[in-house]
Amino acid sequence: MGVKKRISGCVAVANGVKLADVDVICSYPIRPYTGIMSELARMVADGELDAEFIHGEGEHAQLSVVYGASACGARAFTGSSGVGVTYAMEVYSPISGERLPLQMAIADRTLDPPGDFGSEHTDALCTRDQGWLQGWSSTPQEALDMTLMWYRIGEDPRVLLPQYSCQDGYFVSHILGEVEIPDAAQVKEFLPPYKNHHVLDVRRPQIIGAQIEPAMGPPLQYQRYQAVEGARQVIKQAHAEFAGIFGRSYDPFVEEYMTDDAEAAIFIQGAHAETAKTVARRLRNLGEKVGVVRLRVFRPYPTQEVRLALSKFKAVGVVDNSANFGIAGSSGVMLTEARTALYNLGDKVKTVGFVGGLGGEMITHDEFYRMFAKLKEIAKNGKTDRDGYWLPFEL
Amino acid sequence: MLEDIKTLRKAPREEYYVPGHRTCAGCGPALQYRLVAKAAGANTIFIGPTGCMYVANTSYGCGPWAVPWIHAQITNGGAVGSGIEAAYKALIRKHKTDAEFPNVIVMAGDGGSSDIGIQALSGAFYRGHNLLFICYDNESYANTGIQTSPTTPYGAWTTFTPAGPVSPEGKKLFPKDLPKIMSHGHPELKYLATASIAFPVDLMNKVRRGLNAQGPSFLYIHAPCPKGWSFPSEKTVSIAKLAVDTGMFQLYEMTEDRRFKVTYRPKELKPVEEYLKLQGRFKHLRPEHIEKLQNFAQRRMQEVGIEITLLSS
Ligand SMILES: Cc1ncc(C[n+]2csc(CCOP(=O)(O)OP(=O)(O)O)c2C)c(N)n1
Ligand code: SF4
Repeated sequence: MGVKKRISGCVAVANGVKLADVDVICSYPIRPYTGIMSELARMVADGELDAEFIHGEGEHAQLSVVYGASACGARAFTGSSGVGVTYAMEVYSPISGERLPLQMAIADRTLDPPGDFGSEHTDALCTRDQGWLQGWSSTPQEALDMTLMWYRIGEDPRVLLPQYSCQDGYFVSHILGEVEIPDAAQVKEFLPPYKNHHVLDVRRPQIIGAQIEPAMGPPLQYQRYQAVEGARQVIKQAHAEFAGIFGRSYDPFVEEYMTDDAEAAIFIQGAHAETAKTVARRLRNLGEKVGVVRLRVFRPYPTQEVRLALSKFKAVGVVDNSANFGIAGSSGVMLTEARTALYNLGDKVKTVGFVGGLGGEMITHDEFYRMFAKLKEIAKNGKTDRDGYWLPFEL
Repeated sequence: MLEDIKTLRKAPREEYYVPGHRTCAGCGPALQYRLVAKAAGANTIFIGPTGCMYVANTSYGCGPWAVPWIHAQITNGGAVGSGIEAAYKALIRKHKTDAEFPNVIVMAGDGGSSDIGIQALSGAFYRGHNLLFICYDNESYANTGIQTSPTTPYGAWTTFTPAGPVSPEGKKLFPKDLPKIMSHGHPELKYLATASIAFPVDLMNKVRRGLNAQGPSFLYIHAPCPKGWSFPSEKTVSIAKLAVDTGMFQLYEMTEDRRFKVTYRPKELKPVEEYLKLQGRFKHLRPEHIEKLQNFAQRRMQEVGIEITLLSS
């Protein structure tokens, strides 16, 4: 059995990394994810974790260092926030292209401007189509568990893909929550050592990342596509195994809250889901038929599961905590992807986008009340008069 | 320890950079690659940032190395090398591999070393990783079709510095001096030298000394490019030799007390014009431009302690 502690999302991830017996870590400071690295630096200094801890000269270097390390068969870890995430952009595709299952933690932060330290999913969502697995935790416990689960899934020989383990900056990264830190023996059982046959070793020389002729492009991209798509099965399997070993279970893709017989629901990812749940519970007490669906895995996008979950409602409000200027539907990427998942069902489920919490603002209870009220109106009238609303200006 | 090689005949016969690439005939960078791989031997991992030595070597999904090789971005050779070195350190210490610690060699062009890749290079050297970083200097961004890089000489034509009525000399700026940038200011640096494909034994021994130094080592190799410099492909080695004999390129090593030790002194200095006139990239130069290049060579030689004056003809 593990031990229970009150720790932040940052410290929770560091504990996950330690339990995963990571070999190479590369850091660069940027708030709010920095706390993960300072905790890991302490663990290495105190002899709790045996790893090479490298101070990268920037985020681009961070991703490059772990690329090299993972290509030698080392389990590697890095992380960032905000503009740090976008500064490293060049290196994400080579990492997934060479099928290196390293992990990057992202504690979300706005890009500049506004230049504050506020949380927004914009940074991590910029990286969403680079061939990595990606998911959001909404509590420190989930952040620790996701660290272990992503390594297990990403390193599976059927997958071999890197993983973004995302959490909301501050709302998860800096808020203390009760976390059960699992036992090292349990982790050993769940997470076997990283073995990749495709590594740099002079005893079996290999060439990694050679140029190709154009005709080799389609199959190469198709293989990466298949790996991302195929990860769905492994994600399900790993969640089942996780529950068996640790006794904690998560719905692999979407978590439903009070959705039985609900007519209207909020569809959301990350920590703001917890606020949405509180409001939904209160509205239920007043007799309203409302619920919340929380997306846990963004890549691969669980199209079927989202369709199944959302198709039972009359109206769905999709919350976007990212700035997507000029996007179809004038809201955000959560809305466009949810609508794509629902598209083949015709216009049966009315969807509307809510952009909120930008610049690190909270999405308040009051705002969720207004969103539910709007959804009630849409469910009643059976129509939407616009695609999306920016809160608090437009709703 | 890798032993010094006494003569070309005594060099190992084994090749680790083998046929099967598409570099231009007479490619200087390909010639130095072969010598570097020969000197380093089988226990080597190469990191290849984007540039001719990636693109022209690995076309069609294969590559000419008999040792492991991995692509890096043009930006990050130093950082990828750092990760490889760190991984082997950790894996060996944690008994997760029974492999020996390998020679880690980054083979980067002058763009990937002196310009867009300089941050990763400096970071790796500051941190003290045990790797050899080689800049093969073909004095341009060659792979993209010959554009000026920070090491392109003053007066050279490139597609981004064409000569014309407004800029008769082509490139106006004097080149960055990368070995000097690297030689002071990185306290962990263990070895630094320049080399030329015209001096193959010296080149191979400098590779070996760099690897023996067990720390960040920097080797700057002059490698003429027939395509970019416009000269016949059979002239690569003689052009490289002339660069040294005119003082346009200097051969030296850094000593433990951080001074430059010249490893080859031309017996008598030839005028730079003899070097320039063989290359199409300089054909537009006027006497006043050539004079500037003569002064440039003189200055660079003085900086490392080559005191020879040109006999006026
Ligand atoms: C980030 C980035 N910018 C630009 C390029 C385009 N590019 C490909 S090869 C190359 C030239 C590399 O020059 P150098 O490092 O001097 O090596 P060489 O080609 O001369 O051998 C460039 C600029 C790239 N691959 N990546
Ligand atoms: S362009 Fe120059 S460096 Fe590139 S392959 Fe040809 S000769 Fe070699």
